[in-house]
Amino acid sequence: MIRTVKPKNNRAKRALEKKEPKLVENVKKALFVPGQTSNKALHDVMVDLSALKKPDIKRFERKNNIRPFEDASQLEFFSEKNDTSLLVLATNSKKRKNNLTFVRTFGSKIYDMVELMIADNYKLFEDFKKQTINVGLKPMFAFQGAPFDNHPVYKQIKSYFLDFFRGEVTTLQDVAGLQHVISLTIAGDFQDGETLPNVLFRVYKLKTYRSDQGGSKLPRVELEEIGPRLDFKIGRIHTPTPDMVKEAHKRAKQLETKTVKNVERDLMGDKIGRIHMGKQDLGNLQTRKMKGLKSRFDQLASSEEGDDTYGEDFVTADDIQDRADDEPASKKPKY
Amino acid sequence: MSTVDYKDRPVTVEKPIPVTYDLGNLAVFDSNVLDKNDFDSSNGEREKHIKDHTRDNVQLLINQILSLPMKTTTEATGGSSGQSSTMTLIQLPEPLTELPREKPLPKAKAPTKWEQFAAKKGIQPKAKTGKMIYDEASGEWVPKWGYKGANKKLDDQWLVEVDDDVKGTDKELIDPRTLNRQARKQLIKKNERQQKKNLRNSS
Repeated sequence: MIRTVKPKNNRAKRALEKKEPKLVENVKKALFVPGQTSNKALHDVMVDLSALKKPDIKRFERKNNIRPFEDASQLEFFSEKNDTSLLVLATNSKKRKNNLTFVRTFGSKIYDMVELMIADNYKLFEDFKKQTINVGLKPMFAFQGAPFDNHPVYKQIKSYFLDFFRGEVTTLQDVAGLQHVISLTIAGDFQDGETLPNVLFRVYKLKTYRSDQGGSKLPRVELEEIGPRLDFKIGRIHTPTPDMVKEAHKRAKQLETKTVKNVERDLMGDKIGRIHMGKQDLGNLQTRKMKGLKSRFDQLASSEEGDDTYGEDFVTADDIQDRADDEPASKKPKY
Repeated sequence: MSTVDYKDRPVTVEKPIPVTYDLGNLAVFDSNVLDKNDFDSSNGEREKHIKDHTRDNVQLLINQILSLPMKTTTEATGGSSGQSSTMTLIQLPEPLTELPREKPLPKAKAPTKWEQFAAKKGIQPKAKTGKMIYDEASGEWVPKWGYKGANKKLDDQWLVEVDDDVKGTDKELIDPRTLNRQARKQLIKKNERQQKKNLRNSS
Protein backbone atom coordinates (compact mmCIF):
# COMPACT_ATOMS: atom_id res chain seq x y z
CA MET A 1 0.00 0.00 0.00
CA ILE A 2 1.35 3.37 -0.96
CA ARG A 3 1.01 6.16 1.53
CA THR A 4 -1.14 8.79 -0.08
CA VAL A 5 -1.10 12.35 1.13
CA LYS A 6 -3.69 14.93 0.30
CA PRO A 7 -2.67 16.53 -3.00
CA LYS A 8 -1.29 20.01 -2.54
CA ASN A 9 -1.90 21.31 -6.03
CA ASN A 10 -4.31 20.75 -8.85
CA ARG A 11 -1.89 18.78 -11.01
CA ALA A 12 -1.27 16.25 -8.27
CA LYS A 13 -4.99 16.07 -7.64
CA ARG A 14 -5.71 15.34 -11.30
CA ALA A 15 -2.99 12.69 -11.36
CA LEU A 16 -4.58 10.96 -8.38
CA GLU A 17 -8.04 11.20 -9.90
CA LYS A 18 -6.76 9.48 -13.02
CA LYS A 19 -5.75 6.49 -10.94
CA GLU A 20 -9.12 6.18 -9.22
CA PRO A 21 -11.53 3.41 -10.25
CA LYS A 22 -13.64 4.46 -13.19
CA LEU A 23 -16.99 3.35 -14.46
CA VAL A 24 -15.72 2.99 -18.02
CA GLU A 25 -12.14 1.91 -17.69
CA ASN A 26 -9.07 3.02 -19.57
CA VAL A 27 -6.93 0.60 -21.56
CA LYS A 28 -4.99 -1.65 -19.23
CA LYS A 29 -1.35 -0.70 -19.15
CA ALA A 30 1.45 -3.22 -19.15
CA LEU A 31 4.65 -3.11 -17.13
CA PHE A 32 7.66 -5.13 -18.20
CA VAL A 33 9.97 -6.05 -15.34
CA PRO A 34 13.27 -7.90 -15.81
CA GLY A 35 13.84 -10.33 -12.96
CA GLN A 36 17.15 -10.85 -11.23
CA THR A 37 18.06 -13.66 -13.64
CA SER A 38 16.80 -12.05 -16.83
CA ASN A 39 19.02 -12.26 -19.89
CA LYS A 40 19.50 -10.79 -23.33
CA ALA A 41 17.02 -13.12 -25.03
CA LEU A 42 14.27 -12.28 -22.56
CA HIS A 43 15.05 -8.59 -22.85
CA ASP A 44 14.69 -8.77 -26.63
CA VAL A 45 11.42 -10.66 -26.40
CA MET A 46 10.07 -8.14 -23.91
CA VAL A 47 11.01 -5.27 -26.20
CA ASP A 48 9.13 -6.92 -29.03
CA LEU A 49 6.06 -7.67 -26.93
CA SER A 50 6.04 -4.10 -25.67
CA ALA A 51 6.24 -2.87 -29.25
CA LEU A 52 3.00 -4.72 -29.96
CA LYS A 53 1.34 -3.24 -26.89
CA LYS A 54 2.57 0.32 -27.37
CA PRO A 55 1.66 2.99 -26.32
CA ASP A 56 0.16 1.55 -23.12
CA ILE A 57 3.39 0.25 -21.70
CA LYS A 58 6.08 0.92 -19.19
CA ARG A 59 9.36 -0.92 -19.25
CA PHE A 60 11.80 -1.23 -16.39
CA GLU A 61 15.48 -1.37 -17.25
CA ARG A 62 16.90 -2.57 -13.96
CA LYS A 63 16.63 -6.06 -12.62
CA ASN A 64 14.40 -6.81 -9.68
CA ASN A 65 14.71 -9.79 -7.42
CA ILE A 66 11.13 -11.03 -7.45
CA ARG A 67 9.80 -14.55 -7.08
CA PRO A 68 6.13 -14.04 -7.93
CA PHE A 69 4.88 -17.45 -6.80
CA GLU A 70 6.50 -17.06 -3.39
CA ASP A 71 5.95 -13.41 -2.63
CA ALA A 72 4.13 -11.19 -5.08
CA SER A 73 3.90 -8.13 -2.85
CA GLN A 74 6.62 -6.37 -4.83
CA LEU A 75 4.65 -6.84 -8.04
CA GLU A 76 1.52 -5.52 -6.37
CA PHE A 77 3.48 -2.48 -5.33
CA PHE A 78 4.73 -1.93 -8.87
CA SER A 79 1.21 -2.33 -10.19
CA GLU A 80 -0.18 0.27 -7.83
CA LYS A 81 2.67 2.69 -8.17
CA ASN A 82 2.70 2.66 -11.96
CA ASP A 83 -1.03 2.17 -12.40
CA THR A 84 -0.42 -0.89 -14.56
CA SER A 85 -2.62 -3.90 -14.13
CA LEU A 86 -0.71 -6.11 -16.54
CA LEU A 87 2.81 -7.15 -15.59
CA VAL A 88 5.36 -9.29 -17.36
CA LEU A 89 8.28 -10.57 -15.34
CA ALA A 90 11.29 -12.17 -17.00
CA THR A 91 13.29 -14.80 -15.15
CA ASN A 92 15.63 -17.53 -16.19
CA SER A 93 16.75 -20.64 -14.33
CA LYS A 94 17.88 -24.17 -15.03
CA LYS A 95 14.44 -25.53 -14.24
CA ARG A 96 12.51 -22.79 -16.00
CA LYS A 97 14.49 -21.57 -18.93
CA ASN A 98 13.61 -18.21 -20.48
CA ASN A 99 10.51 -17.79 -18.44
CA LEU A 100 8.01 -14.98 -18.74
CA THR A 101 5.48 -14.65 -15.93
CA PHE A 102 2.35 -12.91 -17.15
CA VAL A 103 0.57 -11.31 -14.21
CA ARG A 104 -2.77 -9.55 -14.04
CA THR A 105 -3.85 -7.48 -11.09
CA PHE A 106 -7.26 -6.38 -9.96
CA GLY A 107 -7.35 -3.31 -7.77
CA SER A 108 -3.56 -3.69 -7.43
CA LYS A 109 -3.92 -7.18 -5.96
CA ILE A 110 -2.70 -10.22 -7.88
CA TYR A 111 -5.56 -11.57 -9.99
CA ASP A 112 -3.92 -14.36 -11.93
CA MET A 113 -0.47 -15.47 -13.07
CA VAL A 114 0.73 -17.70 -15.88
CA GLU A 115 4.29 -18.84 -16.43
CA LEU A 116 5.15 -19.24 -20.08
CA MET A 117 8.59 -20.49 -21.04
CA ILE A 118 9.95 -19.51 -24.40
CA ALA A 119 11.29 -22.35 -26.50
CA ASP A 120 14.67 -21.93 -28.15
CA ASN A 121 13.31 -21.53 -31.65
CA TYR A 122 11.98 -18.05 -30.96
CA LYS A 123 12.33 -15.30 -33.53
CA LEU A 124 12.11 -11.55 -33.10
CA PHE A 125 10.87 -8.67 -35.22
CA GLU A 126 14.29 -8.15 -36.72
CA ASP A 127 14.55 -11.75 -37.92
CA PHE A 128 11.76 -11.19 -40.39
CA LYS A 129 11.67 -9.14 -43.49
CA LYS A 130 11.29 -5.55 -42.40
CA GLN A 131 7.54 -5.32 -42.25
CA THR A 132 6.06 -2.90 -39.83
CA ILE A 133 2.65 -1.94 -38.62
CA ASN A 134 1.53 1.34 -37.15
CA VAL A 135 1.78 1.85 -33.41
CA GLY A 136 -1.30 1.51 -31.26
CA LEU A 137 -3.54 -0.33 -33.69
CA LYS A 138 -6.20 -2.71 -32.46
CA PRO A 139 -5.12 -6.21 -33.47
CA MET A 140 -7.31 -9.06 -34.62
CA PHE A 141 -7.09 -12.33 -32.77
CA ALA A 142 -7.26 -15.90 -33.96
CA PHE A 143 -7.41 -18.58 -31.28
CA GLN A 144 -6.98 -22.05 -32.65
CA GLY A 145 -7.65 -25.18 -30.67
CA ALA A 146 -10.67 -26.50 -28.77
CA PRO A 147 -8.94 -26.30 -25.35
CA PHE A 148 -9.17 -22.51 -25.55
CA ASP A 149 -12.87 -23.03 -24.97
CA ASN A 150 -12.94 -25.83 -22.44
CA HIS A 151 -9.59 -26.29 -20.65
CA PRO A 152 -9.20 -23.95 -17.64
CA VAL A 153 -5.49 -23.29 -18.22
CA TYR A 154 -5.90 -22.43 -21.89
CA LYS A 155 -9.01 -20.41 -21.13
CA GLN A 156 -6.95 -18.35 -18.75
CA ILE A 157 -4.25 -17.88 -21.36
CA LYS A 158 -6.84 -16.84 -23.92
CA SER A 159 -8.40 -14.37 -21.52
CA TYR A 160 -4.97 -13.01 -20.68
CA PHE A 161 -3.79 -12.40 -24.20
CA LEU A 162 -7.12 -10.94 -25.25
CA ASP A 163 -6.96 -8.60 -22.28
CA PHE A 164 -3.31 -7.77 -22.92
CA PHE A 165 -3.37 -6.83 -26.57
CA ARG A 166 -6.95 -5.84 -27.35
CA GLY A 167 -6.35 -2.15 -26.78
CA GLU A 168 -9.17 0.30 -26.66
CA VAL A 169 -12.72 -1.00 -26.64
CA THR A 170 -14.46 0.89 -29.38
CA THR A 171 -17.67 0.75 -31.32
CA LEU A 172 -16.16 2.27 -34.44
CA GLN A 173 -13.21 0.59 -36.11
CA ASP A 174 -11.37 2.05 -39.06
CA VAL A 175 -11.08 -0.42 -41.92
CA ALA A 176 -7.55 0.81 -42.60
CA GLY A 177 -6.67 -0.08 -39.01
CA LEU A 178 -7.17 -3.78 -39.56
CA GLN A 179 -3.52 -4.46 -40.23
CA HIS A 180 -2.28 -7.31 -38.12
CA VAL A 181 -3.49 -10.44 -36.45
CA ILE A 182 -2.23 -12.14 -33.31
CA SER A 183 -2.58 -15.86 -33.68
CA LEU A 184 -2.46 -18.28 -30.76
CA THR A 185 -2.45 -21.94 -31.64
CA ILE A 186 -2.39 -24.96 -29.37
CA ALA A 187 0.14 -27.41 -30.73
CA GLY A 188 -2.20 -30.32 -31.27
CA ASP A 189 -4.99 -31.83 -29.23
CA PHE A 190 -4.29 -33.86 -26.11
CA GLN A 191 -5.85 -36.30 -23.69
CA ASP A 192 -6.21 -35.80 -19.94
CA GLY A 193 -3.02 -36.60 -18.07
CA GLU A 194 -0.73 -35.75 -20.94
CA THR A 195 1.58 -32.76 -20.66
CA LEU A 196 -0.05 -29.60 -21.88
CA PRO A 197 1.00 -28.82 -25.44
CA ASN A 198 2.72 -25.55 -26.22
CA VAL A 199 0.94 -22.39 -27.20
CA LEU A 200 2.29 -20.96 -30.42
CA PHE A 201 2.30 -17.18 -30.58
CA ARG A 202 2.51 -15.70 -34.05
CA VAL A 203 1.88 -12.24 -35.41
CA TYR A 204 1.01 -11.72 -39.05
CA LYS A 205 0.43 -8.70 -41.19
CA LEU A 206 -2.62 -8.78 -43.39
CA LYS A 207 -2.48 -8.42 -47.13
CA THR A 208 -5.75 -8.20 -48.93
CA TYR A 209 -6.32 -8.80 -52.62
CA ARG A 210 -9.33 -8.20 -54.79
CA SER A 211 -10.92 -11.50 -55.61
CA ASP A 212 -13.45 -12.25 -58.30
CA GLN A 213 -15.35 -14.60 -56.10
CA GLY A 214 -15.80 -12.18 -53.24
CA GLY A 215 -17.40 -9.57 -55.42
CA SER A 216 -16.53 -5.97 -54.73
CA LYS A 217 -16.86 -6.32 -51.01
CA LEU A 218 -14.93 -9.31 -49.72
CA PRO A 219 -11.21 -9.48 -50.39
CA ARG A 220 -8.90 -12.46 -50.44
CA VAL A 221 -6.73 -12.38 -47.32
CA GLU A 222 -3.10 -13.43 -47.30
CA LEU A 223 -0.74 -13.27 -44.34
CA GLU A 224 2.87 -12.39 -43.89
CA GLU A 225 4.65 -13.08 -40.63
CA ILE A 226 6.16 -10.07 -38.94
CA GLY A 227 7.15 -11.57 -35.61
CA PRO A 228 7.76 -12.11 -32.83
CA ARG A 229 7.48 -15.88 -33.14
CA LEU A 230 7.28 -17.46 -29.72
CA ASP A 231 6.50 -21.02 -28.63
CA PHE A 232 5.24 -20.91 -25.08
CA LYS A 233 5.61 -23.89 -22.77
CA ILE A 234 3.19 -23.65 -19.89
CA GLY A 235 4.65 -23.57 -16.38
CA ARG A 236 3.04 -22.75 -13.08
CA ILE A 237 -0.40 -21.20 -12.91
CA HIS A 238 -2.01 -19.02 -10.30
CA THR A 239 -5.79 -18.86 -10.59
CA PRO A 240 -7.92 -16.13 -9.05
CA THR A 241 -10.15 -16.88 -6.08
CA PRO A 242 -13.87 -17.18 -6.92
CA ASP A 243 -14.63 -14.08 -4.83
CA MET A 244 -12.16 -12.05 -6.81
CA VAL A 245 -13.50 -13.34 -10.11
CA LYS A 246 -17.01 -12.32 -9.09
CA GLU A 247 -15.85 -8.90 -7.96
CA ALA A 248 -13.79 -8.31 -11.10
CA HIS A 249 -16.59 -9.24 -13.47
CA LYS A 250 -19.21 -7.02 -11.88
CA ARG A 251 -20.84 -4.73 -14.37
CA ALA A 252 -21.96 -1.24 -13.62
CA LYS A 253 -25.73 -0.90 -13.42
CA GLN A 254 -25.56 2.63 -14.81
CA LEU A 255 -24.06 1.38 -18.05
CA GLU A 256 -26.69 -1.21 -18.81
CA THR A 257 -28.99 0.12 -21.47
CA LYS A 258 -32.66 -0.12 -20.70
CA THR A 259 -34.75 -1.42 -23.55
CA VAL A 260 -37.29 1.23 -24.41
CA LYS A 261 -40.58 -0.31 -25.44
CA ASN A 262 -42.78 0.95 -28.27
CA VAL A 263 -40.38 3.66 -29.41
CA GLU A 264 -38.53 3.16 -32.67
CA ARG A 265 -36.93 5.09 -35.45
CA ASP A 266 -37.88 4.74 -39.07
CA LEU A 267 -35.61 4.91 -42.12
CA MET A 268 -35.64 8.69 -42.15
CA GLY A 269 -34.52 8.82 -38.54
CA ASP A 270 -37.89 10.02 -37.28
CA LYS A 271 -38.93 8.88 -33.86
CA ILE A 272 -42.08 6.84 -33.84
CA GLY A 273 -43.98 5.93 -30.71
CA ARG A 274 -46.69 3.32 -30.40
CA ILE A 275 -49.45 3.93 -27.87
CA HIS A 276 -51.74 1.20 -26.61
CA MET A 277 -55.14 2.73 -25.83
CA GLY A 278 -57.31 -0.13 -24.66
CA LYS A 279 -60.76 -0.77 -26.16
CA GLN A 280 -63.16 2.12 -26.42
CA ASP A 281 -66.59 1.61 -24.84
CA LEU A 282 -69.04 2.62 -27.55
CA GLY A 283 -71.98 2.22 -25.19
CA ASN A 284 -70.93 5.43 -23.46
CA LEU A 285 -70.51 7.36 -26.69
CA GLN A 286 -72.21 10.72 -26.41
CA THR A 287 -74.37 11.48 -29.43
CA ARG A 288 -77.51 13.66 -29.49
CA LYS A 289 -75.75 16.91 -28.74
CA MET A 290 -78.49 19.17 -30.18
CA LYS A 291 -81.79 19.86 -28.48
CA GLY A 292 -83.70 18.91 -31.60
CA LEU A 293 -82.11 15.50 -31.65
CA LYS A 294 -83.08 14.60 -28.10
CA SER A 295 -85.02 11.41 -27.70
CA ARG A 296 -88.15 13.11 -26.52
CA PHE A 297 -88.52 14.61 -29.98
CA ASP A 298 -88.31 11.17 -31.56
CA GLN A 299 -91.27 10.71 -33.87
CA LEU A 300 -92.44 7.30 -32.81
CA ALA A 301 -96.03 6.11 -33.14
CA SER A 302 -96.31 5.12 -29.51
CA SER A 303 -94.51 8.17 -28.15
CA GLU A 304 -96.44 9.91 -25.40
CA GLU A 305 -95.76 12.65 -22.93
CA GLY A 306 -93.65 11.53 -19.99
CA ASP A 307 -91.99 8.81 -22.05
CA ASP A 308 -89.16 11.08 -23.03
CA THR A 309 -86.34 9.23 -21.37
CA TYR A 310 -87.08 6.06 -23.30
CA GLY A 311 -84.09 4.82 -25.21
CA GLU A 312 -81.58 7.03 -23.44
CA ASP A 313 -78.68 5.44 -21.67
CA PHE A 314 -77.63 8.47 -19.78
CA VAL A 315 -78.96 11.66 -18.32
CA THR A 316 -77.17 14.94 -18.73
CA ALA A 317 -77.58 18.07 -16.68
CA ASP A 318 -79.39 19.70 -19.60
CA ASP A 319 -81.93 16.94 -19.63
CA ILE A 320 -82.73 17.35 -15.98
CA GLN A 321 -83.19 21.06 -16.48
CA ASP A 322 -85.39 20.49 -19.55
CA ARG A 323 -87.49 17.94 -17.77
CA ALA A 324 -88.02 20.29 -14.84
CA ASP A 325 -89.25 22.95 -17.24
CA ASP A 326 -91.65 20.60 -18.97
CA GLU A 327 -93.33 19.43 -15.76
CA PRO A 328 -96.93 20.56 -15.36
CA ALA A 329 -97.27 23.72 -13.30
CA SER A 330 -99.16 21.92 -10.56
CA LYS A 331 -96.11 19.80 -9.73
CA LYS A 332 -93.79 22.74 -9.48
CA PRO A 333 -93.03 23.93 -6.00
CA LYS A 334 -95.13 26.87 -5.09
CA TYR A 335 -93.52 30.02 -3.93
CA MET B 1 3.60 -9.52 -56.58
CA SER B 2 0.76 -9.15 -59.04
CA THR B 3 -2.82 -9.16 -57.91
CA VAL B 4 -3.74 -11.48 -60.75
CA ASP B 5 -2.55 -14.46 -58.70
CA TYR B 6 -5.32 -13.95 -56.20
CA LYS B 7 -8.19 -13.28 -58.60
CA ASP B 8 -9.28 -16.87 -58.67
CA ARG B 9 -8.61 -17.78 -55.07
CA PRO B 10 -11.74 -18.38 -53.01
CA VAL B 11 -12.82 -15.99 -50.26
CA THR B 12 -14.84 -18.59 -48.40
CA VAL B 13 -13.58 -21.29 -46.06
CA GLU B 14 -15.25 -24.54 -45.10
CA LYS B 15 -14.78 -25.78 -41.53
CA PRO B 16 -16.17 -29.00 -40.00
CA ILE B 17 -17.09 -27.14 -36.83
CA PRO B 18 -18.16 -23.55 -37.50
CA VAL B 19 -15.89 -21.02 -35.82
CA THR B 20 -17.21 -18.55 -33.28
CA TYR B 21 -16.54 -14.84 -33.26
CA ASP B 22 -16.21 -12.03 -30.79
CA LEU B 23 -16.46 -9.13 -33.19
CA GLY B 24 -16.26 -6.52 -30.44
CA ASN B 25 -12.73 -7.74 -29.76
CA LEU B 26 -12.04 -8.61 -33.42
CA ALA B 27 -11.43 -12.19 -32.35
CA VAL B 28 -12.18 -15.54 -33.89
CA PHE B 29 -12.22 -18.83 -31.98
CA ASP B 30 -11.65 -22.02 -33.92
CA SER B 31 -12.31 -25.21 -31.99
CA ASN B 32 -11.64 -27.66 -34.80
CA VAL B 33 -9.35 -30.62 -34.19
CA LEU B 34 -5.68 -29.83 -34.71
CA ASP B 35 -3.31 -32.57 -35.75
CA LYS B 36 -0.38 -32.92 -33.38
CA ASN B 37 2.05 -33.84 -36.12
CA ASP B 38 1.31 -30.66 -38.03
CA PHE B 39 2.63 -28.59 -35.19
CA ASP B 40 5.53 -30.76 -34.07
CA SER B 41 8.75 -28.81 -33.97
CA SER B 42 10.47 -31.47 -36.09
CA ASN B 43 7.97 -30.94 -38.88
CA GLY B 44 9.45 -28.82 -41.63
CA GLU B 45 6.04 -27.65 -42.77
CA ARG B 46 5.09 -26.47 -39.29
CA GLU B 47 5.07 -22.75 -39.87
CA LYS B 48 3.14 -23.22 -43.06
CA HIS B 49 0.45 -25.18 -41.22
CA ILE B 50 0.09 -22.51 -38.56
CA LYS B 51 -0.05 -19.80 -41.17
CA ASP B 52 -2.63 -21.63 -43.26
CA HIS B 53 -4.84 -22.27 -40.27
CA THR B 54 -4.61 -18.66 -39.24
CA ARG B 55 -5.22 -17.42 -42.75
CA ASP B 56 -8.43 -19.40 -43.04
CA ASN B 57 -9.68 -18.09 -39.74
CA VAL B 58 -8.70 -14.51 -40.50
CA GLN B 59 -10.46 -14.78 -43.85
CA LEU B 60 -13.63 -15.84 -42.02
CA LEU B 61 -13.18 -13.03 -39.50
CA ILE B 62 -12.61 -10.41 -42.19
CA ASN B 63 -15.69 -11.63 -44.05
CA GLN B 64 -17.72 -11.18 -40.87
CA ILE B 65 -16.26 -7.80 -40.03
CA LEU B 66 -16.78 -6.38 -43.49
CA SER B 67 -20.42 -7.42 -43.46
CA LEU B 68 -21.08 -5.31 -40.36
CA PRO B 69 -22.78 -1.95 -40.85
CA MET B 70 -20.35 0.71 -42.09
CA LYS B 71 -20.19 4.42 -41.70
CA THR B 72 -18.23 6.74 -43.93
CA THR B 73 -17.01 10.00 -42.48
CA THR B 74 -15.01 12.80 -43.94
CA GLU B 75 -12.55 14.46 -41.69
CA ALA B 76 -10.17 17.29 -42.38
CA THR B 77 -6.58 16.15 -42.00
CA GLY B 78 -4.45 19.28 -42.29
CA GLY B 79 -6.05 22.43 -40.93
CA SER B 80 -4.59 24.96 -43.39
CA SER B 81 -4.15 22.72 -46.41
CA GLY B 82 -7.89 22.20 -46.71
CA GLN B 83 -7.39 18.56 -47.57
CA SER B 84 -9.83 16.03 -46.28
CA SER B 85 -9.88 12.28 -46.32
CA THR B 86 -12.73 9.87 -46.09
CA MET B 87 -12.66 7.15 -43.51
CA THR B 88 -14.68 3.99 -43.55
CA LEU B 89 -15.61 3.00 -40.03
CA ILE B 90 -17.09 -0.32 -39.07
CA GLN B 91 -19.64 -0.33 -36.32
CA LEU B 92 -18.55 -3.06 -33.94
CA PRO B 93 -20.90 -4.76 -31.52
CA GLU B 94 -20.20 -5.00 -27.80
CA PRO B 95 -17.40 -7.43 -26.87
CA LEU B 96 -18.74 -10.82 -25.88
CA THR B 97 -15.80 -12.24 -23.98
CA GLU B 98 -15.99 -11.23 -20.34
CA LEU B 99 -12.69 -9.91 -19.11
CA PRO B 100 -11.93 -8.84 -15.57
CA ARG B 101 -11.98 -5.17 -14.71
CA GLU B 102 -8.79 -3.35 -13.87
CA LYS B 103 -10.12 -1.90 -10.63
CA PRO B 104 -13.28 -2.44 -8.63
CA LEU B 105 -16.38 -0.44 -9.50
CA PRO B 106 -16.25 3.10 -8.11
CA LYS B 107 -18.07 3.49 -4.83
CA ALA B 108 -21.09 5.74 -4.65
CA LYS B 109 -20.53 9.09 -2.97
CA ALA B 110 -21.48 8.99 0.73
CA PRO B 111 -24.59 11.06 1.47
CA THR B 112 -24.04 14.31 3.36
CA LYS B 113 -25.67 14.89 6.71
CA TRP B 114 -28.31 17.05 5.07
CA GLU B 115 -29.02 14.40 2.44
CA GLN B 116 -29.47 11.82 5.20
CA PHE B 117 -31.82 14.11 7.05
CA ALA B 118 -33.78 14.98 3.92
CA ALA B 119 -34.16 11.30 3.06
CA LYS B 120 -35.46 10.57 6.56
CA LYS B 121 -37.97 13.41 6.46
CA GLY B 122 -38.86 12.89 2.83
CA ILE B 123 -37.76 16.35 1.74
CA GLN B 124 -37.35 16.68 -2.00
CA PRO B 125 -34.41 18.68 -3.34
CA LYS B 126 -35.27 22.24 -4.35
CA ALA B 127 -35.71 22.92 -8.02
CA LYS B 128 -32.78 24.90 -9.37
CA THR B 129 -33.82 28.39 -10.37
CA GLY B 130 -30.51 29.67 -11.65
CA LYS B 131 -28.14 32.31 -10.37
CA MET B 132 -29.89 35.44 -11.60
CA ILE B 133 -32.79 37.14 -9.87
CA TYR B 134 -34.99 40.00 -11.02
CA ASP B 135 -34.46 43.25 -9.13
CA GLU B 136 -37.79 45.04 -9.00
CA ALA B 137 -36.31 48.37 -7.92
CA SER B 138 -33.85 48.78 -10.77
CA GLY B 139 -35.67 46.57 -13.27
CA GLU B 140 -32.57 44.50 -14.00
CA TRP B 141 -31.49 40.93 -13.60
CA VAL B 142 -28.78 40.70 -10.94
CA PRO B 143 -26.89 37.71 -9.52
CA LYS B 144 -28.18 36.33 -6.22
CA TRP B 145 -24.69 36.50 -4.78
CA GLY B 146 -21.18 37.49 -5.81
CA TYR B 147 -20.13 40.68 -7.57
CA LYS B 148 -23.03 43.16 -7.44
CA GLY B 149 -25.07 40.40 -5.84
CA ALA B 150 -28.57 40.89 -4.51
CA ASN B 151 -27.43 39.90 -1.02
CA LYS B 152 -25.21 42.97 -0.87
CA LYS B 153 -28.01 45.48 -1.30
CA LEU B 154 -27.40 47.14 2.06
CA ASP B 155 -23.74 47.87 1.37
CA ASP B 156 -24.11 50.92 -0.84
CA GLN B 157 -27.16 52.55 0.69
CA TRP B 158 -26.78 55.93 2.32
CA LEU B 159 -29.47 55.28 4.92
CA VAL B 160 -30.11 51.92 6.60
CA GLU B 161 -32.76 51.08 9.12
CA VAL B 162 -31.59 49.41 12.34
CA ASP B 163 -33.03 45.96 12.69
CA ASP B 164 -35.54 45.34 15.46
CA ASP B 165 -33.55 42.36 16.75
CA VAL B 166 -30.50 44.50 17.30
CA LYS B 167 -32.31 47.28 19.13
CA GLY B 168 -31.49 47.46 22.80
CA THR B 169 -28.43 45.15 22.54
CA ASP B 170 -24.78 46.16 22.51
CA LYS B 171 -24.74 45.84 18.73
CA GLU B 172 -27.12 48.69 18.31
CA LEU B 173 -24.39 51.21 17.67
CA ILE B 174 -22.51 49.12 15.08
CA ASP B 175 -23.06 49.95 11.44
CA PRO B 176 -25.83 47.62 10.12
CA ARG B 177 -23.87 47.22 6.89
CA THR B 178 -20.96 45.72 8.83
CA LEU B 179 -23.35 43.40 10.67
CA ASN B 180 -24.82 42.26 7.37
CA ARG B 181 -21.37 41.55 6.00
CA GLN B 182 -20.41 39.64 9.14
CA ALA B 183 -23.50 37.49 8.88
CA ARG B 184 -22.65 36.59 5.30
CA LYS B 185 -19.08 35.70 6.16
CA GLN B 186 -20.27 33.54 9.03
CA LEU B 187 -22.58 31.61 6.73
CA ILE B 188 -19.65 30.85 4.45
CA LYS B 189 -17.56 29.65 7.39
CA LYS B 190 -20.39 27.47 8.60
CA ASN B 191 -20.80 25.89 5.18
CA GLU B 192 -17.09 25.15 4.98
CA ARG B 193 -17.20 23.50 8.40
CA GLN B 194 -20.09 21.31 7.31
CA GLN B 195 -18.32 20.35 4.10
CA LYS B 196 -15.24 19.32 6.03
CA LYS B 197 -17.29 17.30 8.47
CA ASN B 198 -19.07 15.48 5.66
CA LEU B 199 -15.75 14.71 3.98
CA ARG B 200 -14.35 13.35 7.22
CA ASN B 201 -17.40 11.16 7.81
CA SER B 202 -17.42 9.78 4.29
CA SER B 203 -13.83 8.53 4.28
